[in-house]
Amino acid sequence: MRNGWTSGILDRVTASQPWKSVFRHGYPATELDRMATMFTNFFLHLLPAKVHPNSLRLTYTWALGMVTFYLTAILFVTGFLLMFFYIPATDWAYRNMKDLQFAVSFGLLLRNMHRWAAHGMVALVFLHMCRVFYTASYRPPREFNWVLGVLLWLLTLGLSFTGYLLPWDQLAFWAITVGTSIASYPPWIGETLRVLMLGGQQVGQGALLRFYVLHVAILPAVLGVLVAIHFWRVRKDGGLSRPEGASPAAVSSPGAEGRFVPGPQKTYALMEVVQGTTPMATTQAPEEEVPTWPQLLFRLLVLFQLVLGVIVLLGIFFDAPLEELANPTHPPNPAKAPWYFLGLQELVSYSALVGGVVVPGLLVLGLMSIPYVDRAVKGEGIWFTSAQGKRIALWSFLGTIPFTLGLLYLNTRFGLRRFFPDATQGVVDLLNPATLLLVGIAAFSIIVGRCTHSRRMAAIALFSSYVSGYVLLMVIGTFFRGPNWDWVWPW
Amino acid sequence: MQRAGSPPESTGPDQGRVSRRALLGTGWCGFLLSIVGPAVANIRFLFPNVVYEGPTLLKVGRPEDYAPGTIMVLEEQRLFIIRDPEGFRALSAICTHLRCTTGPFVQPNAQWKESHSRCPCHGSVFAKDGRVLQGPAPRPLDFYRVSLAPDGRLIVDTAAIVAKGDVLKV
Repeated sequence: MRNGWTSGILDRVTASQPWKSVFRHGYPATELDRMATMFTNFFLHLLPAKVHPNSLRLTYTWALGMVTFYLTAILFVTGFLLMFFYIPATDWAYRNMKDLQFAVSFGLLLRNMHRWAAHGMVALVFLHMCRVFYTASYRPPREFNWVLGVLLWLLTLGLSFTGYLLPWDQLAFWAITVGTSIASYPPWIGETLRVLMLGGQQVGQGALLRFYVLHVAILPAVLGVLVAIHFWRVRKDGGLSRPEGASPAAVSSPGAEGRFVPGPQKTYALMEVVQGTTPMATTQAPEEEVPTWPQLLFRLLVLFQLVLGVIVLLGIFFDAPLEELANPTHPPNPAKAPWYFLGLQELVSYSALVGGVVVPGLLVLGLMSIPYVDRAVKGEGIWFTSAQGKRIALWSFLGTIPFTLGLLYLNTRFGLRRFFPDATQGVVDLLNPATLLLVGIAAFSIIVGRCTHSRRMAAIALFSSYVSGYVLLMVIGTFFRGPNWDWVWPW
Repeated sequence: MQRAGSPPESTGPDQGRVSRRALLGTGWCGFLLSIVGPAVANIRFLFPNVVYEGPTLLKVGRPEDYAPGTIMVLEEQRLFIIRDPEGFRALSAICTHLRCTTGPFVQPNAQWKESHSRCPCHGSVFAKDGRVLQGPAPRPLDFYRVSLAPDGRLIVDTAAIVAKGDVLKV
């Protein structure tokens, strides 16, 4: 292949000065060249020059962060394209959706892909957070990156919320109505906040335009900045967290076949300034690491193909739903949010102030404070930390289910208003399943912490219980709530 | 701050000049102002002074359109017109929980011993006088002021919330 006339042209082009002015490195054939390439290429310099094989283990990270990033990329591209056929006006938006479905070439596919990538992102950001939590990867020096991650999770939810409002169908209209009404609950600032979100007092053109600007400009810009900092800190904090110990034998350098020319028999490591006052190599044993090119790059490429393939297939086979045109007089019955907000809707159905503002606010603060409560420095990179941690996680997850179901049963059977019709709102707010769930789980986690003398174990109990509780509420909201938010059987 | 050995500030060549501290203080204050001022202006900018929303005064037909002892749903206006022996009342159909439209009033049943309206979004249940019978609604449904226009038609003012005893006698 290298000796045809094409290779002559190719060689001359790649040897020319204009080419070299763009690509500063040639094909990296030696280990030294490969590291230099990673270092000098703008896009590649986001990645380290060498990686530890333990960071490459699929069963350690499950590549969740990277898949999330790829989904974000797909969302940006499909989103930019969809913008060409969308006008954020109440008279137009719904018709634009119909056009995308029936009149625009590949419009349906792009909208479907945008939707499935968005749903996937909501799920994967959360799973990524679970991975980082259960491997204790929030530990110093990565505390603040955990906080950034929580913010990115909130941004993802914000982008989803502002996104599903744009078609201006029934889901959109009543979601804005309910969402902005929740925002009006915090004392003092609530009503102002609602006016700010709606651009007036009523849900209409002003609100649609505001949520559109948030969705396509402000939130993506903030997301981009935070993702950049998030990645930058991963690098500066010493790369991905990883378990100690021997590297798996599976990762071996490719042999001398192909275009790879073995370089000088020497080990290279790039010095980087990380935490501390003196320059310090990011790893103490660089000879254990493998070059990013090709070990990591190849995996990333395959992963991207996989993610894109799955999203395209989902887009081909499953159409994004579109409800009826927004009707400001009648909500659908039942009026259900997308699946990831149904746990929240269930909480809000007990009390808007507690379920929609207080409990979510406390949960977010609690999540952010995890690395500042569990301050141990060592022991990251192991799933559930220990066998005990695994047990606690499992039992917390399982134990929360009967606890939550019990609370819901009590609330349905012996609701406060049924016996005390004149109970003040404060009491109703305070004695609802959301508050009791929050307090019960917090108490349980403190007990676990006391018994095990470990804040890490307390954190595992807390996190697992909340995840279990929220997932359960989500399942209940999805399958067990019917018209008028009454209990129904899913069959 | 006065260093040992240096002349007091009130005398010498520095007399009458602006002190370093005052200059820097003014500078920093100006810098702060240049950030806070526009920020406040930008936030104010986001609150519109003119909105193009529907009217709050609604004409809802003539008194004789409503049979005595009935509750009529006005879907477009999202309210109920209640006519009982005392007169006319306008009950808001906007749920006080999260502003969904609560459903039409239905007859008493095994669970509720009075006629009631249910909100489809989160399951609040309201009585005819607006009371919350069940669910997350934090306060009763609102009553709006009903009046008669000179042309003899009923007018509901959704901006004027009145007590539930406030009745238009016709």
